[in-house]
Amino acid sequence: MFITGPTSPIKNTSHNVVLPFYAYAALSFLVATILMLSNVSAFTQHYFNPNILAITHTMALGWGTMIILGASHQLFPVMIEGKLHSNVLAYLSFAFAAIGIPLLVFAFYEFDMNTIALMGGMLINLSVMCYLANLAMSIYHSKSKNVHAVFAFTSVIWLFITTLLGLLLVWNFSSNILSINSINFLSLHAHLGIIGWFLLMIIGVGSRLIPMFLISKYENQKRLWLVYFLINAGLLNFIILFFQSLSVAFYSISLGLIGMAILIFGNHIYWSFKQRIRKKVDEQVKISILSVALTLVPILILLIIMIILANVNSLQLVMLYGFTIFFGWITTIILGMTFKTLPFIVWNKVYKSIAGLGKTPNPKDLFNNTIFKVTSGSYLLGFTIFGCGIVLSSILFLNIGAVFLLITAVLYNFNVFKIFFHKAKLNEYKNK
Amino acid sequence: MDIALTGLYFVMDPEIDLNIVDLGLVYEIDFKEDSNDIDVIMTLTTRFCPMGESIVEATTKSMKESFPNCKTQVKLTFQPPWDQSMISEAGHEFLSL
Repeated sequence: MFITGPTSPIKNTSHNVVLPFYAYAALSFLVATILMLSNVSAFTQHYFNPNILAITHTMALGWGTMIILGASHQLFPVMIEGKLHSNVLAYLSFAFAAIGIPLLVFAFYEFDMNTIALMGGMLINLSVMCYLANLAMSIYHSKSKNVHAVFAFTSVIWLFITTLLGLLLVWNFSSNILSINSINFLSLHAHLGIIGWFLLMIIGVGSRLIPMFLISKYENQKRLWLVYFLINAGLLNFIILFFQSLSVAFYSISLGLIGMAILIFGNHIYWSFKQRIRKKVDEQVKISILSVALTLVPILILLIIMIILANVNSLQLVMLYGFTIFFGWITTIILGMTFKTLPFIVWNKVYKSIAGLGKTPNPKDLFNNTIFKVTSGSYLLGFTIFGCGIVLSSILFLNIGAVFLLITAVLYNFNVFKIFFHKAKLNEYKNK
Repeated sequence: MDIALTGLYFVMDPEIDLNIVDLGLVYEIDFKEDSNDIDVIMTLTTRFCPMGESIVEATTKSMKESFPNCKTQVKLTFQPPWDQSMISEAGHEFLSL
């Protein structure tokens, strides 16, 4: 059966929809690292403090969520072999989040949990609702439903539950609408987001993208379905235990299920790598594969926390746990995948009309690969030193680590905006 | 045929940096005898290729450039699915396979 070009079911989402998310995320990463460097002492205190809340939400919403929203607006139509239902909903999703996130972060930083925090929370929820509706309608109109799309859509449902609970927690600070203190719900709110949103989405999209960029023919849908059920079962078990207030030991069931899912996913990526056609793997894919390994680090830290929680003050380990999630696993995959997706989006924008008429640069020529390598090196140094700083409560280590992470963010922004401002080299086509 | 292929050598899969002819993505070029129509039957390395739309457009454009008086239609097929054995000898050399 043929699919003819102009009526092909896959339609690229307009770059106008996608690019603002990438720009916003890059700037958020920069803001988060500046906040880190200005508030390193906060990382030696209890994790529930205004500075940590502000940095965490800048990373989780401004950096992680915004770039995933941008990339998924582009990739979701490809995964469902259809098209994005509405550009207007996508613009609204961006606008609501773009205004809501700084309001919420500012409110956390000042710890003013009244009007500004509520407005921020409501706008973020509106953004997620627009995104959810857009994806639901896109799926409804598409012909192909597959495991990757199910991963992605389920993750957005978890995102909505996370942001809704987040809004209730903010509201609870000023109006006591819940019977207990908001702080008690923090771990539930955090894990709904980390496992339900980030882990499901990253595995769903990563299991499609990483083999594709390796040009690997390896496919194992059954294995991915198993990963899907293990993660959701682990998360549901966590929610049930949370409300039953059972012993910490029972959480090991969730940890076991999710840990097993990550190992199976790692094995899936390993086989994709083994069966790849492209033998030379570029740095961007290497960094993305590293992030799969880094997923296990928070799991190991959590295991340590659960084993020693009863008699040791594990506040620094909890801080390290959060740090390895947002600055480790999530940041690593974004650093790698940005330079595998953004250049293609901009390349399509700049060269689509002249492709096939002469020699065009490759998408990878749109950014500076040397800067990318320096960014990766600076990131790995910063991540390791800052992580040590948290464990040792050392201001010196935290400062040095934060400087390297700030350098990482500056270099990352340099390359991102170099791609953004790329212009076609028209001289090559003047004779066409 | 040679004119068509010369043009299509300029159509690249941007991710692999290899042209679609050496990559083995072009299955058939059908010059209709009773009309000025040309059908290009081609595939992509994966049906989820985000560059698919752009590659198809570039192929159409290249054919129109080579045969301005003909009507070209590019048809995508995933039967048989593309695999490594479809890459030309030059492609194998380029990709160090």
